[in-house]
Amino acid sequence: MTINTLAKGGWHREQMSCFRKMEKVIVAMQDPDMGMKMRNQRLLITVIPHAMTGHDIIAWLIHSYSICEEEALHLSGLLVRYGYIYPLKEPRSLVLRPDESPYRFQTPYFWTSTRWPASELDYAIYLAKKNIRKQGELMEYEKTRYSLLHKRINHTWDFVVMQAREQLRASKQRRKADRIVLECQEQAYWLINRPPPGAHSVLDMGLERPNTSAGVTLNSEHYKSEIETSRRALGRNRVKSSICLESFVKYSEQYQNHDPIMQGSLPSNPWISDDTAYWTMNSEMVPIPTRLRVERWSFSFMELLNDGMGRREFMTYLEKEFSAENLCFWQACEDIKHGESSRIIEKVEMIYKNFLAPGAARWVNIDSKTMDKTLEGIRNPHRFVMDDAQMHIYFLMKKDSYPRYLKSDLYKNMLAKAIVPQETKKSVFPFVRRQRHSNPSPAQAVAQATEEDGHAKGAGQAGTNSAAGSNV
Amino acid sequence: MGKDECKTMLDALNKVTACYRHLVIALGSTSDSQNLREELKRTRKKAQELAVANRTKLTSLLKDKSISKEDRAEYERLWVLFSSSMELLEVDMKRSLEIGQDFPLKVPTRHLIQTGMTGSTTTVAARAMSVQNMKYEADSNIDTADLRDLQCEISQVSQMMEEMEMKVQVAPWAVEAKQEAGAELKSNMSVGNSSVGVISICEEEPKEEEGGGSRDSGFASICAVVIFLVIVTVAVVLGYLVINMS
Repeated sequence: MTINTLAKGGWHREQMSCFRKMEKVIVAMQDPDMGMKMRNQRLLITVIPHAMTGHDIIAWLIHSYSICEEEALHLSGLLVRYGYIYPLKEPRSLVLRPDESPYRFQTPYFWTSTRWPASELDYAIYLAKKNIRKQGELMEYEKTRYSLLHKRINHTWDFVVMQAREQLRASKQRRKADRIVLECQEQAYWLINRPPPGAHSVLDMGLERPNTSAGVTLNSEHYKSEIETSRRALGRNRVKSSICLESFVKYSEQYQNHDPIMQGSLPSNPWISDDTAYWTMNSEMVPIPTRLRVERWSFSFMELLNDGMGRREFMTYLEKEFSAENLCFWQACEDIKHGESSRIIEKVEMIYKNFLAPGAARWVNIDSKTMDKTLEGIRNPHRFVMDDAQMHIYFLMKKDSYPRYLKSDLYKNMLAKAIVPQETKKSVFPFVRRQRHSNPSPAQAVAQATEEDGHAKGAGQAGTNSAAGSNV
Repeated sequence: MGKDECKTMLDALNKVTACYRHLVIALGSTSDSQNLREELKRTRKKAQELAVANRTKLTSLLKDKSISKEDRAEYERLWVLFSSSMELLEVDMKRSLEIGQDFPLKVPTRHLIQTGMTGSTTTVAARAMSVQNMKYEADSNIDTADLRDLQCEISQVSQMMEEMEMKVQVAPWAVEAKQEAGAELKSNMSVGNSSVGVISICEEEPKEEEGGGSRDSGFASICAVVIFLVIVTVAVVLGYLVINMS
């Protein structure tokens, strides 16, 4: 007994639309007047009707659908590959030969179907039947599958044997010709549904699983939802590429000097010179930061806050201005957002006690609406409950304290103090590589080339060579 | 004894299931006809009767707490056989509904698939119903009228199977089959004989091998043997006369 997953949902499984189309073609071929021309298949003594040649199939397709021969060949090839027509001469080769090779239609029960997939039980019964008929002479892969099935559905193996015998007995009741046809049909069916190893399985769609959207009914509900989706899409904010490219260019220009790949790293590229001075000088907390780093603090507020040293400096400044609680609050909120889930509640409590409660030690100045919302949210604290308040304080600092900091003496002194590391001196030996640009980046090469071009174009300039030389 | 009774009933159900499948395969093809639809209907009803009988018997046996362990294992095995049979029946019934709807018989242009099967399925149905000859007495609109009955019966069967799964506590995977792999080759009964002759029909060339034992060719071979013996006797008599003459 297989686990009955088909109990409720299986009844609604759909037949793939391509199969339904092929079925329609097959049924059209059966028309007594306009259908296929049938011949008789002559075996030694028995004559079996309803055989057709490949050539006839192609001719009929060309005639009925007014298509070219190539297309008819392709279409009929599909019909054979999907098992609606099976070859009589070489049953294992599922191709359509446009000559006199005979084919026959498959009975509807054995049509390929996604709605009625072939089950393991049926395959086991088929193999058992074949075993009986051939006295054990199955093909290699059939033998392996047989033993595999015997292991897998061992509990119903008695049933398999019983049913196989009974089905053979039932088929004995029919005429010889019908028996032959029945066997051919079954063989064709299982060649498609359980193809021999190495053969392409037409039912295996892999990643290109087709969309069985036959379930979408084109009624007014469907169209209403489509209209709604399109309307929402219209309202989306779109930026012209000219505008966003402009800001991108500005950003690139601003950061050009700070990019170690584009500009080279002072004192030297550690990967090349094995000198880790660059890293030690730019580490999180140094007594004296590099100049580039301090310059970056003036680019945007986020840059300042992301840099540990920058935050410390900013904190010192704010303490002088008596608005340090803003930064503390902001840092505490960040801690909640990025910290452990188990401690969220206690952290939220602490923030409330220190920053938000009326009369708190370090009370932050938030507008009443945000304050109400936050207090409401604190009752059910989660990771992002402080987001609105944090955003408010962030913008407060950005608009107010940050510009003043950049103009302050504290910052200017820091900038003056900042060091510009010296390039490692060229060594005495003339043929040792220069460290800074020793690994010429393609950008460097291009930049040099264009500059040389530019200078060459300005023809007749005296300092051409020296200008080009000084850029290197 | 309960066990033997069960086994015979299960065999009967098995036989009917096999015949039913055979009949459904013929649906929609050129061997489809009024008669086939009626045969399907009667086989189906018989299958259902047998199913209900089997189920009541087996459930009563399984509910009995006082049976021994081997007995219980045996009944569980029979139960698994029964439910597999019902599975096949259910699928075949659903498919026959679908194909029956797609291929109605009483339409001006019948588009039955020309599969090469042209014989009738009377004998199969007779085997299923365990009668000698089938009598056909249905009306001409059986193909549409029957479909409604079929739908009811399908829902009945589905319901029964669900009840079976819920109420009977049998773990199918715990059952061990009695037959080992390849068991069908042993005790090679009547199935082997004529079907062996039909080997390699569908293989490389449509070669045909005549096997003995099928009904028509059996009769022909007996005739041939008789004629041969007559000729041999005549030849012997003539030879004797010739020798006597000379």
